Order: sequence, then C-alpha cells, then structure tokens
Amino acid sequence: MLENFSFRTIIEYLPLFGQGLITTVWLSALSFAGALAVGIVLAAMNLQRGRLFRIAAKAYIDAVRATPLLAQLYFLYFGLPRLGLVLPELVVGIIALSLNSGAYVAEIIRAGILSIPRGQVEAGVASGMTYVQRMRLVILPQAFKVTIPPLLGQAIVLVKDSALLSLISVSELTRAGQLLASDRFMPAEGFITIAAFYLLLYYGLKGLAALSSRWLGLQPARSST
Amino acid sequence: MTNATKTGMIDFRGVNKWFGSLNVLKDITLSVEPREVVVVCGPSGSGKSTLIRCINGLEAIKDGDLVVDGQRLGDPATNMTQLRTEIGFVFQSFNLYPHKTALENVTLAPIHVRKIPRAEAEQAGRDLLAKVGLADKINAYPSQLSGGQQQRVAIARCLGMRPKIMLFDEPTSALDPEMISEVLDVMVAVAEEGMTMMVVTHEMGFARKVAQRVVFMDAGAIVESGTPEEFFSAPKTDRSRAFLSKILRH
Ligand SMILES: Nc1ncnc2c1ncn2[C@@H]1O[C@H](COP(=O)(O)OP(=O)(O)OP(=O)(O)O)[C@@H](O)[C@H]1O
Ligand SMILES: [Mg+2]
Repeated sequence: MLENFSFRTIIEYLPLFGQGLITTVWLSALSFAGALAVGIVLAAMNLQRGRLFRIAAKAYIDAVRATPLLAQLYFLYFGLPRLGLVLPELVVGIIALSLNSGAYVAEIIRAGILSIPRGQVEAGVASGMTYVQRMRLVILPQAFKVTIPPLLGQAIVLVKDSALLSLISVSELTRAGQLLASDRFMPAEGFITIAAFYLLLYYGLKGLAALSSRWLGLQPARSST
Repeated sequence: MTNATKTGMIDFRGVNKWFGSLNVLKDITLSVEPREVVVVCGPSGSGKSTLIRCINGLEAIKDGDLVVDGQRLGDPATNMTQLRTEIGFVFQSFNLYPHKTALENVTLAPIHVRKIPRAEAEQAGRDLLAKVGLADKINAYPSQLSGGQQQRVAIARCLGMRPKIMLFDEPTSALDPEMISEVLDVMVAVAEEGMTMMVVTHEMGFARKVAQRVVFMDAGAIVESGTPEEFFSAPKTDRSRAFLSKILRH
C-alpha cells in the first residue's frame, strides 16, 4: 500500500488542511469557552440547596452523557430549523459542542469545589463571609487549581469530538481529509494526514496541561485524565 | 434588652439539639458574662464542640433560647452574618486558607467583611502577627508553618476582626506537645486583655490560670460547673472524677 502513497497529493492539499486546522482550532476554542460558561452555570445549579435546580442540572448532565454526541448534533441540526431557528452549520456545531462538553465541565467544576475541605467553608462562615464572598475568596481560588488539569483533558476530548462537525459539512480538519479521500480516492493520504494534525493539537494541549500543572505547583501525576 | 431577665454575653436557656435521633445537647442552661473565660471539658462525644458551634450558628439548635450579644439566634431579626463578625472561632485543625499568606489570612475578612481599608487592615494584621510572635512569618504560606505557628495565625485571624467573643474548639489537641505552650501563651494573653472566651480544652494549666469557670459535660448535658480550683481538686460527681483520673494519668 505504501508504494503508491502520494506525498505529492498531500502537499498539494496542504493549504486545505491548513485551513481546516485553523478552523478546528478556533471553533474548538469557542466551543470550550461556551462549555465553560455552560459548566459553571450547571455546577452552580448542582450545588444549590434548592432541589429543583439540582434535579434540572442532573437531568441535563445525564441526558448529555447517556446519548451519543452525533445524535445530539443531528438533534440540533435538524431540530433547530423546525423551531424556526435557521443557523449556519458552524454555529450549530459550536452550540452542540458547548452544550455537550459543558455537561462534563460541570462535573469537573463540581468535583473541584467539593474537593475543598469542609473546614475551609466553616472558616469563611465563622468570619462572617456571605455565600458569595466565601465562593469568591476562599473556595473558587482553591478549586480553580484542582480543575485546570482535568479541564485541559476535557479540551483534548472536545478537539477530537469536533471532527463530527464534518458530518454537517463544516470545513474543519476532518472535512479536509474527507475531501482529499473522495476527490482523489485517496483515503489513506487524507486520514493519515488529519491524524497527524490531531496528534499535533493533542501534544500542544498536553504541553499546556503540563505547563499549567507546574505553574500551579501541582503534582504532574495528578494531571492525568 | 426588652427582656427583664439579666442577659450575659452568651446565654443558653434550655437548649436542645438532636442529630437525627441522638440528643446531643440536653437542656443546656449556661450564661457567660462579658470578660469571662469558661473552659468546657468532658469525654469524647459528650457534645463540647456542638455546644460552642451553636453559638456562632455553625450548628442550628432545635429548641430553647440562645442569646448571643443580646441577639436571639434563629430570630428573623437577627443578622447571623453580622453577628458572626463579633465572634472569633478557632478550630482544632486551624483551617487556615492555604492559598493565602499568613498576613492575607489575617486581613481577608477585615478587608472584605468589615470593609476596613486595605492599608489599615494590613498594618493591624502585621501588629497582630507580631503580637502572636510571628513577625517574621508574615509572608509565609500555611504549608510553610508548623502546627503551633498555624494555630497562632488562626488566632490572629480571629483577633483581626476585633471580636467581642472568642470560641476555641480544642485548639491544642492537634499539636505536637512541644508546640502546645506557645499557643496557650497567646490564649492567656488574649484572656488577660478581657476577651469573653469559651474554650473546649483539657489543658488544666490553662484553666487554672485564666478560667473563672470550668464546665464539665457528659452525654450532652452539663453535669458539673465550678471554679477550676473546685473542679480539679474536689470534683463532685462520679463521672467527673472518672474523667479527671483519665486525663490526669498522662
Ligand atoms: N454532623 C453530625 N451528624 C451526626 N452526628 C454528629 C454530628 N456531629 C457530631 N455528632 C455526634 O454528636 C455527638 C457530640 O459530638 P461533639 O463533636 O459535639 O462531641 P465532642 O464532645 O466535641 O467530642 P470530641 O472530644 O471527640 O471532639 C457525638 O456523638 C457525635 O458523634
Ligand atoms: Mg469536639
């Protein structure tokens, strides 16, 4: 198979791959920002005393975790227009990834907050801090440190998941590979190249995770996800 | 206030508390006067921590009245957050903020809760840390301090709020023996300045030195109460005698 592996075609398609890579990077970045927003809201709901908020957050998180991302993507892609909301594919894709990843981010944040010892809360309470002050001054700064490594792990998952957007014809990295595969009947060239690019992104994010662990003074062993 | 009966700084009147079906505080009636130092002792599980944790609302009481600094706990008119700024609480496990330096630990609540200007709070914080013998540890993080040093920072953290009452829950029982006295010395100094204090401890030297009263608890009830002299040299009940013989043995 390798004797007719065409590096020439890959080089010919390189601008397309470059475009796809850039799109994958920024749409992942946007989706991750969205996931953080969704995750923070869900985590806050999940930590409320009020049962209604908690049940709603848990139901959402379970629904996201129990169903395939592809189904969620199609649900939005075909469902939103029915509600009269016609959005560009790219926007639908970013919304889907944000909503999906947000459920996992919520659990990471919740675990981070719950990992802070009870005594920290009590120290804040005893000194007359309000709930908001306690969160802002005592709990979140400590939880933040613990959540950075698993959040970067989730970012890696999100980048890989973004490949599914090729199925709603967003021209990201995987789509570039598909084009090469179908235009020139060269699936090996197409998909090996995108695999190499994903590997590159993976090491980039992993490097960032390692760097942040060191910067935050955490044990590198704890950053594995 | 409107109440005809004399109120102390801390006033328990017929207070009961349950954890599930467990009656952890049984009909507690106890009044602590301003500037008084009361030591609470008793066997493990007798309800000592629960008793003092009720005073700043870390635990809620079920029935009876608990009046602190003239305010009735559980009363809708009582602002609990406000009341807590008047009550310092020193934990057995220090509970310092690990992401803050010693000075920041001391100034955090004064700046954000008491709204004292930062510069002023920091000056006061430095003075307090010097007072507890930690002038050279101002910028150290809790993880860089020994247990005794951490507990002294925790006491300074409470004093930074200029509280009217200080509560201590076994402040020295998590410490290595050689560090106990450095913490007790600070507590004695606080007591001698006229602070109203309730201290859960088995340190009899401390009790004899500064306490006006020792309260002995067993199984959720106050079994005996008297001056340190009376209590340690002539305990009145079998249970307090048994307890004292146990803690005196080592
Ligand atoms: N949050 C809780 N839920 C249920 N039971 C509790 C809780 N906290 C304390 N208890 C129980 O209440 C009783 C009194 O506890 P408390 O901590 O006040 O005792 P203590 O005198 O401080 O004991 P120690 O000397 O061990 O600190 C114990 O039987 C304990 O098991
Ligand atoms: Mg206790």
